[in-house]
Amino acid sequence: MIELDVNNVSKNFGGLLAVNHVSFQVRGPELIGLIGPNGAGKTTLTNLLSGALKPTNGTIYMNGQRIDVLPPYKIARAGLGRTFQVTRAFRRMTVLENLLVPALAMHPTARQGQFIKKAREVAEFLTIDHLLNEYARALSGGQQKLLELGRLLMLDPDFIILDEPFAGVHPKLMEIIYEYIIETNKQGKAFLIISHDMETIFTLSKRLLVMAFGKLIADGPPEEVKHDPAVIEAYLGSDSDEPWKPVRKVKKEVVAA
Amino acid sequence: MRGNMRLLKTLTWVVGTGFLLILPWLIPTRMHVAVIALYYAILASSWALLAGYGGQFSFAHMAFAGLGAYTAGLIGKFVRLTSAPTQTCFEVPLGGWWMVIQDTASPTCLEQAKATMPVGSLIVKLPPWADIVAGILIGGLFGLLIGALVLRLRRTYLALFTIAFAEILRTVVNAERDITGGPGGLKLDPLFPNGVTLLGHEFGPADKLPPYLLMLALFLASLGLMYWLAGSRFGLFIRSIREDEEAAASLGVNVVRYKILLFTVTAMIAAAAGGVYAHFVRVIAPNMMVIKEMSVVIAMAVIGGMESLLGAAIGAILIEFALEQLRNDITVGSFTLNMADWRLVVFGALLMITLRFWGNGLIYPIIQRITRRGVAEETVAKRLQAASANPEEGP
Repeated sequence: MIELDVNNVSKNFGGLLAVNHVSFQVRGPELIGLIGPNGAGKTTLTNLLSGALKPTNGTIYMNGQRIDVLPPYKIARAGLGRTFQVTRAFRRMTVLENLLVPALAMHPTARQGQFIKKAREVAEFLTIDHLLNEYARALSGGQQKLLELGRLLMLDPDFIILDEPFAGVHPKLMEIIYEYIIETNKQGKAFLIISHDMETIFTLSKRLLVMAFGKLIADGPPEEVKHDPAVIEAYLGSDSDEPWKPVRKVKKEVVAA
Repeated sequence: MRGNMRLLKTLTWVVGTGFLLILPWLIPTRMHVAVIALYYAILASSWALLAGYGGQFSFAHMAFAGLGAYTAGLIGKFVRLTSAPTQTCFEVPLGGWWMVIQDTASPTCLEQAKATMPVGSLIVKLPPWADIVAGILIGGLFGLLIGALVLRLRRTYLALFTIAFAEILRTVVNAERDITGGPGGLKLDPLFPNGVTLLGHEFGPADKLPPYLLMLALFLASLGLMYWLAGSRFGLFIRSIREDEEAAASLGVNVVRYKILLFTVTAMIAAAAGGVYAHFVRVIAPNMMVIKEMSVVIAMAVIGGMESLLGAAIGAILIEFALEQLRNDITVGSFTLNMADWRLVVFGALLMITLRFWGNGLIYPIIQRITRRGVAEETVAKRLQAASANPEEGP
């Protein structure tokens, strides 16, 4: 059961306060959406959580352990996994090799052969099992996103950050990503999902965090957040009655399942 | 498929090793070139592990070879083992013996000590293998330090840093004439000072076959070690670091540790090659560490294929022989081309053409064509199979 405590975290880039005293907690397998306009500080926040950046102020604890002082690999081993806004598959390595890297990193004394079966199962679940021996560079953009998710399944973290998992993805692959999130969440994993795809994120999330100008301006159930005047004003810069227009249709029955 | 590939790999090793073993009988007059070719093959393949697999574009590889060579040479020049204390030189007890280090301030201390040492006391030089091992350790130590220093540097900055390190080392060796011999060079004993007997045949210190076999053994051992590393978790991790350090770290890879390990291992291999080379050529000079030499090694790896250890090694061997072959002047009518100079132009042109048209080198694509034969067909077959199982989903 994941316990994450983000306490008053800030990140200053030479005068630009990208993340401004952000605090929130995660308890258990929550499905959290993180939204905000471009430049709101969402990706910086995820970089702070994963250790790619160190906070200027504040602390981050995961399961009682302070992680903001740890290098990224130790944070990953402590149970926090992430994907990136722009897909970062290891392009000159095969799909199978991509999947083996996190498994071997998590198990320093294990042999490669121990994880081949699991890698095949993961690839099958993500419908990329026919590509196991192909180089990742031969995969489409959507398939590379699936591969990134596959690496997270091999890493097996308790808290998963997905940065724009639906961006530029074919609807068919989007369903697979949906299914991945729902299934993995059922297994007790918590998610923090950044997305500009409003309909998807509102349908998927049970809780929404909203950022604007580096600040966390709302934290609550999507229905509440949706009608929060401060959010509407800060996020869209308008007072529209229907600010959350769907960007893309998804099969809701997948979520319902 | 996998069984066939394993058989193919085993066959490649057996045929390749067999060919290199009979090479001395095929080209008995070119043994010197063959030893140097293997020296470059070790350097090019270990640089391929560092840069091609690990993405660490270092210009310090020849400096590590130089460290191995000079450590071996300096130990031969200044270090002796004595069976009794000299009382006049700097000395350290070593398992019942004394390791004596003669410094330039007291070059005659051993001569003076002979008068006072008990009758029958022994003063011996360390055997070449011992100073080669010392060179490997020193190379590894410097690799560790450089690896730790450059772990946050990438690409251009890493290249500039390692150029600076290599040039500083070469300049120091050049300047410290009393110790290193400076540009005049440092003399070393042959690899087998007392000769050696192989299969009942006696070879003298100047014979080329024993050094060839030693360099071949080092080449095969280093290539075997590197292939083992490349196929292990170490290989997966360094390749993931090459592809994307941040992504690798986010998946639990200790980037710092593996970068340092990679620098250390490749530095030790380069130092080992340098040590054996130094005892083979018997006189080493700072020129062995110039950037031009480093460029030659890089070019060999690039032409062979820097993402392949075997490709880089084959590239190095072929290019070294080709460069030697091209030394002969070419005369067309009354016009004579001095190939001693022009051969490097040919080499440079080959490098440019390779980089422009075959980014993966000339040898590596051939290796890939063999080792990845059938992969694409397998993928298509699986895709079609999946499509026929779920016809409504489409391919």
